[in-house]
Amino acid sequence: MRIEGSEQVEEAVSLAQQAEWQDITPIEQEEGEGSMCPIAYTDEYRELMGYLRAVMAVGEVSERALALTARVIEENPGHYTVWVYRKRLVEELESDIAEELDWVCDISCKFPKNYQLWHHRESLVTRLWAPSNALLVSEDQRVTNPVLRRELQFLDAAIDEDSKNFHAWSYRQWLVSTYALWTQELAFVDTMINQDVRNNSAWNQRYFAILANRNPSVVRLEADVAKSEIEYVVEHIKLAPNNDSPWSYVTGLLLRHAPSMLYTDLLPRIKQLAADNAYQAAMTLTPFYWSALLDIYEQQSADHPDLKKQLIDESSAICDQLASETDIIHCRYWNFRKTSLDTC
Amino acid sequence: MLPSEAVSQDASRMTVAQLCLVGLATLGQLNDILSETQRAQMVDWIYEQQIPRAGAYAGFRGGSLFGPHSSCSYAPANSANLAATYSALCSLLLLGDDLSRVDKQAILGAMRQLQLESGTFVPHPGTNEHDPRFIYCACAISSILNDWSGVDKDAATRYIVKCSNYDGGMTQARFQESHGGHLYCCVASLSLMKRLDALPDRQRTLKWALFRQGGGYHGRTNKVPDVCYSFWIGAAVEILGGHDLVDTGAVAYFIRQCEADIGGLAKWPGYRPDPLHASLGLVGYSFCCPEKFPRMSPELLLPESVLEAHRARQTQ
Repeated sequence: MRIEGSEQVEEAVSLAQQAEWQDITPIEQEEGEGSMCPIAYTDEYRELMGYLRAVMAVGEVSERALALTARVIEENPGHYTVWVYRKRLVEELESDIAEELDWVCDISCKFPKNYQLWHHRESLVTRLWAPSNALLVSEDQRVTNPVLRRELQFLDAAIDEDSKNFHAWSYRQWLVSTYALWTQELAFVDTMINQDVRNNSAWNQRYFAILANRNPSVVRLEADVAKSEIEYVVEHIKLAPNNDSPWSYVTGLLLRHAPSMLYTDLLPRIKQLAADNAYQAAMTLTPFYWSALLDIYEQQSADHPDLKKQLIDESSAICDQLASETDIIHCRYWNFRKTSLDTC
Repeated sequence: MLPSEAVSQDASRMTVAQLCLVGLATLGQLNDILSETQRAQMVDWIYEQQIPRAGAYAGFRGGSLFGPHSSCSYAPANSANLAATYSALCSLLLLGDDLSRVDKQAILGAMRQLQLESGTFVPHPGTNEHDPRFIYCACAISSILNDWSGVDKDAATRYIVKCSNYDGGMTQARFQESHGGHLYCCVASLSLMKRLDALPDRQRTLKWALFRQGGGYHGRTNKVPDVCYSFWIGAAVEILGGHDLVDTGAVAYFIRQCEADIGGLAKWPGYRPDPLHASLGLVGYSFCCPEKFPRMSPELLLPESVLEAHRARQTQ
């Protein structure tokens, strides 16, 4: 590698040749005959690890140890104890947290699927601005505060890089819940859904934003919110009827939080869409429309036993159609579903 | 030997080892390819990764990268990990070991300290990382050791139930996106704890799993199929009793498309193979064509025959 500045000279020189490390004897790894899945370590990694083991073995707290943990993590971020050690070092050395967060950004670019870096980030952010203090100001003030603004920007970049990065969406939920950033979240979700109507992570986040941390097992959705969600979903179904996400979102949302609205409100809207010349062909061909009808009829039948026979007949015909034409790959499931209609 | 690029797996060698052994076992080749001496040496290497003291760090560590046990006086530097302990126990059983050198009480003692009040588990002390993967590891370890004193089953069940999502899927924590890997960990954990009836809507969960099939299985709605979900989703479907509802021909076809020229299975057709995808793809394949393979336990990633022999030893 080309050596330009003094920092790169230091990186190119092995630790054994550095004055700073003369007092340390590296600890070698032991293997034995039956060594399983050995890795062909580079000389650089082998040396870094020898010195890391030496400082970790005694729990040394120092800047050189901190720098060493960074180098190891940059090679092997799955080293699970080095993150614990680094967290302690950052705390005891009172390192600049903003700089540490910048360093974590670099790691996430290189290793977007690593788990540990996100949890390290959580502990840094809560140290930087305790949630109990943050919640004393308004949401607008929280969103514009440099700490949270940085996190939201970091998440924007991560999700821009991979719009379905599970860790990024999960961290985003942590941030939004911990710092109560609900209003901006619904707007963000809308932007993401409009960018890609098939992004299920975004639709899932919509459920998260609508419920805003309320306990799902006790929430009854307000009628106006449910109606507005139904309209939102129908508008997005129009963009791509054969798209699982909005269908499973709206049926799941209503089933849990406003079950009767499945048949009082959702049913007429989707039937209207299916009758509309512009959408009729697409709606008929998508299994999600027919599957939604089955879920709706099942709920309606449970609430109105007088309609049960008629609804079972219709559902039975839908199962046959799905099994034989519209969703053949799942035909065994649809045949099974047909046999269990009567027991609902 | 794995190439230097695999260094990010250095702390997970125990799991990579387990996956390689599982792959060989699924092919019925384990005892043919590995001599008795080799197997004994591997067993010794695994036991060398057992932390030789009790306390929160007890169990098996992920690899030898932490150095000799005697060299370390700062406990957090040399720690077991629930995933590595699970992988170690499975690997030992696959290699024909009777687990007599396993410090069972130390493992269960550590496990108790790793369960949070919410019911979920952290993998080792000093981290706030927690999710169903580690509940699964704890349940699998407890099942193999036939001792549930390390797990508060009520709390774990409560946590898992909160992981059920609006679409019937299961996820990492309440409100997160339904995910095939977490579906497996949740369903398998409940099954091992004999609490499968705690699922809020088992039929809906089974449906969610079945509908991850569009050819091969994908792990999340509107994502592309990946061969490892042949196990995560395939095994969950087996546990939920949905085997007859799967188009096994289509799944098997997808898995065969993922076979690489150099051998092994890749996550997608045309991609490069790796031990995780090769092994999980094979086990997933065995669920599709059970008559051609040794029967594999969907809950424990072990052949049923190995599990039966182990249980027989335990009752003696």
